[in-house]
Amino acid sequence: MEVNPLSVILVKSDSKGDRLLFRYPYHEQENNEPSNTKRRNPYALSITEDLLQSPPPPASNISKGSLTGISDEVLSSLFAVKPELCNQKFELKVNDVRFVGHPTLLQLRSKSQDDSGLLLIHIVFALQALASHSVVKCYYDLSKRMGIALRHEEHRCGYISDQILTMVTIHDDSYTSNFEAAFKKILEKCTLAKNIKNVYDDLCSTGLVSIRINKWIPLSFCLPQKVHQWHLRGKIVEPEDIDRCLKALRPYHSLLLLYPVQQLYDFTSLDGSPSLLRMFSQYSPLKSLQTLAIDSDITLSHVFELTAHLVYWAKATVIYPICSTNKYVISPDAPLQLNSPLIDKFSEVFPNMNLLRIISDFSLPTSLGQKCNPLCQPSQQSQLVQMIIWMLQHHLLLQLHTYIQYIPTDNGFTQHNLNEIKVVHVTPMMQSNGLINSSSFSIPFKSASRTESESEASVVSETLEARPDSELTNHSMNLTNVSFSSADEEKQECQELLLDFPDEERNAIFKIPASSNSEDLNLFARLCRNGYFQGNHHIEEIMYLENLRRSQLLQLLDKFRDVLITYETEDPAIAMFFYST
Amino acid sequence: MESDHFHRNLHSEGSRQESPIRCIFLCEFHPTAGPIITCQVPENYISKELFDSVSVYIITKAELERSTITVTLSDCKILGFPVRIEDKKYARNAFHFNLCFVCDSTSRTVHYEPVVTKLSDYLMAMEIENSFLSSGSAPTKLTPILKQVLEDLNTKGECALTEGPIATHLKVVKVRSDPMAVADHQVPVFLKALPTQQWDLTTQQVAPYIDGFNHVARIAALADVENNLVKACVQNLVYYGVVALVPLFQYGNVYCTTSKLKFLMQDTDLQNRCLQYVAKTHRQLPNIRDVFRMYAAMTRGTTVRDLCTRFNPAALRVNERKLVQFGILEELIRRVNKYPVLLGENTELQKSFSGAASLDEICCSAGISAQQLEDHLERDHNVVLLWK
Repeated sequence: MEVNPLSVILVKSDSKGDRLLFRYPYHEQENNEPSNTKRRNPYALSITEDLLQSPPPPASNISKGSLTGISDEVLSSLFAVKPELCNQKFELKVNDVRFVGHPTLLQLRSKSQDDSGLLLIHIVFALQALASHSVVKCYYDLSKRMGIALRHEEHRCGYISDQILTMVTIHDDSYTSNFEAAFKKILEKCTLAKNIKNVYDDLCSTGLVSIRINKWIPLSFCLPQKVHQWHLRGKIVEPEDIDRCLKALRPYHSLLLLYPVQQLYDFTSLDGSPSLLRMFSQYSPLKSLQTLAIDSDITLSHVFELTAHLVYWAKATVIYPICSTNKYVISPDAPLQLNSPLIDKFSEVFPNMNLLRIISDFSLPTSLGQKCNPLCQPSQQSQLVQMIIWMLQHHLLLQLHTYIQYIPTDNGFTQHNLNEIKVVHVTPMMQSNGLINSSSFSIPFKSASRTESESEASVVSETLEARPDSELTNHSMNLTNVSFSSADEEKQECQELLLDFPDEERNAIFKIPASSNSEDLNLFARLCRNGYFQGNHHIEEIMYLENLRRSQLLQLLDKFRDVLITYETEDPAIAMFFYST
Repeated sequence: MESDHFHRNLHSEGSRQESPIRCIFLCEFHPTAGPIITCQVPENYISKELFDSVSVYIITKAELERSTITVTLSDCKILGFPVRIEDKKYARNAFHFNLCFVCDSTSRTVHYEPVVTKLSDYLMAMEIENSFLSSGSAPTKLTPILKQVLEDLNTKGECALTEGPIATHLKVVKVRSDPMAVADHQVPVFLKALPTQQWDLTTQQVAPYIDGFNHVARIAALADVENNLVKACVQNLVYYGVVALVPLFQYGNVYCTTSKLKFLMQDTDLQNRCLQYVAKTHRQLPNIRDVFRMYAAMTRGTTVRDLCTRFNPAALRVNERKLVQFGILEELIRRVNKYPVLLGENTELQKSFSGAASLDEICCSAGISAQQLEDHLERDHNVVLLWK
């Protein structure tokens, strides 16, 4: 694993010079294998030409997952940085090892406030050089936080002076050659050394660090690249991926906790946010974030923040709330082999059930509604929901959403259409202010594809009555609101509704029988203008944003299927936990 | 629980980019003055103060000699390779020097490491030959060389040095990730024309059979080349981005759309390339609506055969094989594989039907057609077929 640390090193530097106080792991490795370096023939002539011809293989400082080949003295001299480089990021790469840390300068409590009382304490993590930039950044953050905590403890009660004194004494007392014994003794006696060991062990096992420095300052840290491993094996989740997912979070999404709520109460510490507890008490995977916010009486933005926090710490994931119309399929990289531990885990939770048999029903897109026949007992149905939740928690299922693409003609749609949509958005708002004469500004916005006379007239005459509802902000608009007085006029209105569409497209739309119904056409034109038919919004999102019912939308899609093509795929916003695209 | 994770990394840096070399300098250990910069191009890029604070990483202890050492500072990154030449003629019986490249602190520098090493070795050879560095006239002679290296590497990515008795060639080689192992049932497709180079014999023999439809095992048979050699050759071509691997085309295959399908309508360039690619003949291109409709109809449960009967691609001037291939290469669609799992007791069969191998892999290794195998599996109730 390239995210695991190779070693954690503690170095100090003060008026008495620099010294490596502790490193973990300190076990010297038994060198069973013959060393890689070829024994030189002492009689061989050194030929300068050879130097350029056959470069030796690049040197390596890693052996069997730990740091090797650099002595403690050299490490200490490397990490005891010059004062100019203190209190900022330290990053050094030697061959295939990258060292990262935050050298912290602190004032010793016992000494006077001058240079002699300054101490540099540096906790360095040795990583594989292959580790990505974001991993390095996380480790830097950890080193910095430990440094800050130590500085505080020194200021409070001289903790560091104590610890350093003990460590230095042990080093001085021990035999010079036997580092291991000295480190072992330090580990027994010093709490700081124990902390370092715990940090190393936690980082290697779970990626979640939770220690108390000097039994006083709690320090928790999460290495996202590692912590998500437990539920997404072999996939490295970068903080950037999480951020991308969280930026795409919408109120209609829902939180899916990966642990029972009871366990998460333990995860929150004593001084944890009370709103988090309140949210847990109202939690259900069937609720959208918006509902959750209302039920637990927290603002939506705060629910988003709590969600972000839980997702980052791998306690939760984001899904679309479970409902009977959701279609699920098996996720492309679901680890479903006969020897998979998930199979046993599943049958522990659901006795007499075979995961493979259950999940094979989702080979084809299947919704909850399809799986439950009316004769189905409520208990069976609830078990089915529980099983789907379990499979979603283990990322075995993927939800498919329907996306819609507007293609009116054989050649697609005119690209100018997009510009015009913007024009339409601008026009009614400005006109309703009544400040600007419509004809004076509609001309500059004109796009080249349309004939001047026809379009200009339309923008001027039509926008006031028929288009105020095309504003995106108007969610709660009522369909029946649009008033048309007579049938004749209606026809006229219909024709004019689409005046901002290019001729070709308008003709194609009018060939559809449903276009004679002004209500349908009006809805169609509105959704189309708002850009919902560009494949960027799935049906559920349109329903949410436009306050529509599913049946309404599905009927519309069916009526206008000649110009609207639908396809099913996953929601890219929340699909990052399934497979990398 | 810490609360500062809400805003952490929100301003995450974009992917690290390759930046040009900002500066090259030569540093040596002066017998009385200690570490000093002897020669720098451009002048005064690295200030004296900055150099003093990091000199410990440039002129290092003996243990770290001949190691590539990169130190990242807040505004630059220094990449060096400390070298020592032992000889009685020097004031301290040894001559230490280090040739360093300086880049932006956010950029990647791994690909410069071999160049720095090689350039150091070149200077070392020159020093051993005629005391090029230690003779005192180094700055005047070295400056033009470093200038040339800096300019050539930044513009051309390579540089030939023919100064003095020794010549050397430097080239920046991009570090790419290792390509995946190639499997028998995969199909290589050329992404660009094979560069006209003197390829190795295997590649020359294999290349004519890479037509986008032959799978690796078939190419091996057709080209009369050993299977593993073909795999190695294809893997090499994948590494250089000349070919991509796509799943084997069969009319029984199932594909599904990905979220990237929307770009087919949003990106005009992609659209044009698609129409060119999937056209049956180049005289008359298909129209985008038909193409999009065909892609949109690809769902789990719909085979290409079904699509062909529904749409009749020939009448739409669409070549369905090319359609699928383009979709896969541009990731507009994705292959849905079938994984048979045997739930019965038969341990012998469970080895192949464990859920780890797809139908393709099983067919390819057993040498039977997919249709045969599927018919066979359908009859067995102990076998569940997972589509993913």
